[in-house]
Amino acid sequence: MAVPTWSSALKVLLRADITAQVRTPQSLVLTFALPLILLVATGLGKNSAALGGPAFRISLGLTVGLVSIGTVGYSLAIARDRDTGVFQRLRVTPAPTWTIMVSRWIVQVGAVLIMAMVVLVVAAVFLGITLPPQDYLFTVLVTLLGSAVFLSIGQAIVGLIASADTLNAAGRLLYVPLIGLSVFGNTDRLGTTVEMVSRWSPGGCLETLLSAAMGATAWSGQSWGALFASFGYSVVFAVIGIRWFRWVSH
Amino acid sequence: MTRALRITGLRVTYGPVVAVDGIDLEVREGEIYGLLGPNGAGKTSALSAIEGLLRPAAGDIVIGEIDARAHPLQAKAELGVQLQATSFHLSLTLVEIVRLYAGLYGVTLSSPQIRELLGEINLQNEASKRFRELSGGQQQRFSLLIATIHDPALVLLDEPTAGLDPQGRRQLWDRIERFRKEGRSILLTTHSMEEAQAVCDRVAIMDHGKILTVGTPAALIAAHRDDPKVRQAAHGEVTLEDVFIALTGRELRD
Repeated sequence: MAVPTWSSALKVLLRADITAQVRTPQSLVLTFALPLILLVATGLGKNSAALGGPAFRISLGLTVGLVSIGTVGYSLAIARDRDTGVFQRLRVTPAPTWTIMVSRWIVQVGAVLIMAMVVLVVAAVFLGITLPPQDYLFTVLVTLLGSAVFLSIGQAIVGLIASADTLNAAGRLLYVPLIGLSVFGNTDRLGTTVEMVSRWSPGGCLETLLSAAMGATAWSGQSWGALFASFGYSVVFAVIGIRWFRWVSH
Repeated sequence: MTRALRITGLRVTYGPVVAVDGIDLEVREGEIYGLLGPNGAGKTSALSAIEGLLRPAAGDIVIGEIDARAHPLQAKAELGVQLQATSFHLSLTLVEIVRLYAGLYGVTLSSPQIRELLGEINLQNEASKRFRELSGGQQQRFSLLIATIHDPALVLLDEPTAGLDPQGRRQLWDRIERFRKEGRSILLTTHSMEEAQAVCDRVAIMDHGKILTVGTPAALIAAHRDDPKVRQAAHGEVTLEDVFIALTGRELRD
């Protein structure tokens, strides 16, 4: 019997994973609802301007979307399928093992891209926050880099934590600092140490890059630093996540 | 008779623990071969090595004419596998799962063909249900359908009747019997000695990672009939279970 090509295996896996992603209500909420709620909520109230300008509102929405999809949603989905034996069933087929994981990554990156588009469109159409055309392109590119960072963090979590229950708790716990740190990168209200940690955290670096991509701040040495740090985070967490990943939870 | 599977010197370890300790095994074409043993005997580890789910520490695995360690993907294409605990994508329907696994084996099926296949296992009315919405017996039938979706020559079944009611077990054995008539070979594990005695052409009794004995159920019973341990275990006519208990002991296993 002939072995199917890797491309045909990837194609059928993608079709299944996309269907599964679309049919999971929790993933849809994480993908769209949270970023949009934050995008709108940060513009409400008298003191909303103190949080940051329009670019900050968009970047916060995108960061929340990235953490929700890449880190929390992805790691939970992988842990659940690992626990229930979905991966083991796929691994006994002649599909190359790497296609099983790459298909998941592609679906998550696709979800991130759609989330970014929706956030930017809602910001422009309903909130009147618009950007020059080239800034939209840079924003999407930075969002793609952000998806690599937060997906690799999700991969590291699912690589280091075997139990789906523990991972569920850890994912929720990580959610707060990952987003919180990205918020306080632009303010020293909690002290300079928190500001420094926040600025160089994965979320903080993303905030810096998004801010520059949207033209809110000029591209500077700090932007370059955030770019290199983001690449570094992606590589380090991906290596950890792949090196220690197990297909079974026991 | 040609062989569907040959294993020589298979050794599987988990760190310092030896799960499978250099076993040899051969499944012939058209044969139902039972791998029997108490919990922790090494049956599932041996099957996992054949399935390519874990890398053996030593030994050769040849499926048909394919060296499974050198050409794992080709070997997997020749195998039909039903795992002990099988699950599929939680949010996909049965039709979508069939399409997925057919695609992974390079088989193209139209929607009417898929519905026909589901009809063969009496699941035509459940086509749009999710796997988890099926009863235990329906799940087993569906898992077996997926395992054989590509018409494999060798089917591996890890405790296929576990958790099934008598009707479900009977249906499953009828289906397995049909596989044999179609010329497929089957390697299965089971804790039911009664079923193994009734259905398997040959069985191997395994414990502590080693194969203790191999033969037809009738030959094993005949060979061990006069063993004092077997006579002690027997209540009346000696059965395969008496031989099994005598060879593997009475103590409980985890």
